[in-house]
Parts: sequence; C-alpha cells; structure tokens
Amino acid sequence: MAVLEIILIVFLIFSAVMAVRFDEELISIIFLSIFSLILTSLYLLHKAADVALAEAVIGAGLNTAIFMSAISQIRHGDSD
Amino acid sequence: MNKLIKKTLISTVLIAVTFALYHNFALMPEYQGLDEGISDYIITYGLNDTGSLNLITAVLYDYRAFDSLGESTVIFGAVSGIVLILSRKMLPVSSKGLSFIVKRTLGIMTPFIALFGFYVISHGHLSPGGGFQGGVILAAISIIFSIVYGSAFDYRRYSPQTKTVLETVGAMTFLGFGLAGIVMEGAFLNNLGFLTAEKGTLISAGSIPYINIGVGFKVGAGLAIIFYSMIQKTFEEDF
Repeated sequence: MAVLEIILIVFLIFSAVMAVRFDEELISIIFLSIFSLILTSLYLLHKAADVALAEAVIGAGLNTAIFMSAISQIRHGDSD
Repeated sequence: MNKLIKKTLISTVLIAVTFALYHNFALMPEYQGLDEGISDYIITYGLNDTGSLNLITAVLYDYRAFDSLGESTVIFGAVSGIVLILSRKMLPVSSKGLSFIVKRTLGIMTPFIALFGFYVISHGHLSPGGGFQGGVILAAISIIFSIVYGSAFDYRRYSPQTKTVLETVGAMTFLGFGLAGIVMEGAFLNNLGFLTAEKGTLISAGSIPYINIGVGFKVGAGLAIIFYSMIQKTFEEDF
C-alpha cells in the first residue's frame, strides 16, 4: 500500500513537471491527462470514490477534449 | 456640484455596505473547536436525516444544497458567456470523421456509455457518483460523436436549442424542488419528507434523486453546448 502510493506520487510529480516543461502542446496535454489518471488512482487508494469519479470524468475526459479542440484552433492559424 | 453629489452618494452607499457587512459578520458564532464540528453530526445522523446511503450526496444536495445551486448557477453563467462570445455562425459544415470500423464500434459502445451515465445519475444517493459526474459522462458521449462521426452528426440530431431546453428543464427541476421545500417543509431546498422510503432502495432519500436527475441534465447539456460552441469555427477549415 505504502510502496504503491510512493510510486504513484513519484509518477504524479514526473508527469506534472513534464506537462510544464514540454514545448509541444499536444504532448503537454497528454501528460496532463496522465496526471489526472494517476490522481484518480491516488484518490481511489485513499477511498475517496466520489472525487475519483469526478477527477476521471472531468480531468482525463472532458479537459483533454476541450484542450484538443483549442489546440486545433490554434494550429489552424487565422480564424475568421 | 453634480460631481460632489455623486461622490457623496457613492461614499454613503459604501459606508452603509461596510456597516451592514460588519453587523453580518458580528452575528457569526464563535469558533468552537474541531471536536464539536458538524462532520461528526453528519456521519452519525446523516443516514437517518436524509435516507441517503452516500453521505457525500447527502451533504451536496441536502445539507449544503444551496451551495450546489450556486455551483450550477456558475456553470449556467459560463455557458451563457461562452455562447455569447464564441458562437457567431450557428450552422457548421460537417467533417468526415474517422473510419468505418471506429464508427461501427462506437455505435455498439454508445448505449453502454449512456447506460453508465444514467446509472451514475440515478444511483447518486446509493453509490459513488451523482448528478455532476453522470452529467459529464453524458456530455462526453456528445463529444465522442463529434470526433468519430464528424462534427455535424450530433449537431443535426440535438441542436443547441434542444440542449438549451434540457439545461433549463434541469435548472427548473432543482429550483422547483427548492420551492416545494418552502411550501411543504418550511425551508428552501429542505428534503421532502413524504418522498422518503425504505433506506437503500432506488426511489428513496426524499428529493435527492430528483435533484440529481435535474443537475445531471443541466451539467451534461451545458458542457455539450460549451464544447460545440468552441469547435464551431474549425469545421469549415476541414474542407
């Protein structure tokens, strides 16, 4: 239990740093999604199932989709 | 002269607001320490008070239902602002979407995703979840449709007008149960006593399941509206 928690926290910090450090936006978004997934499993490990469900649905699902659509708008350049 | 009157008026109003706020905060009870906090009360008596097995939903939609009403009002404000700023063209051109295999696979999977969303909403008072999480799952279906089947697939079937109606119906459900609380129980958003049943059954816990359904429709429709008004400009550049 404790070992698993430490491993998850290390990966959490790793993915957070990676999301900030990468220049490519797409990879940053994917690391942010991984961050949310690891955070979901941490919440579940601490028996907070409600928060885990909210984090999985919003952090890993909805945020990624909305950021992706924002990125595709930036990539296309001049809109209107 | 006119300016002086204006300044006097503004400073009078500010002083009055300060006075009112000071008196309001003076009415607050003193800090009583963590031992006599309300968390112990909720853990001990929450099931008997509300009939909801999931105490988090009991706090969200019964003890602190007014805060949840504020949260859904915030989402409503965000939806209104985004639609006002971003949606200029209301009729997008469709993009082609992904391949045949992905489309058929999603066609088989979609009913199960929707079933899971409705399960999370309707069992909010029994198992983890609730209106907010289930609503986001329902919004995710609409987002996956726009990715896999092309942008205008979901748009043609459920237009933004339909989604706006759904959102309004959800908000009205929430407010309606709040007003029913005033009429029947004497306080806004009070749990309706005559709707309670045996604990642990699907239709129990007073007005909590119905408020969950309202919040679920409101959040799902609102987030889908946000996503569709965000992607509207990218459609025409796909061709």
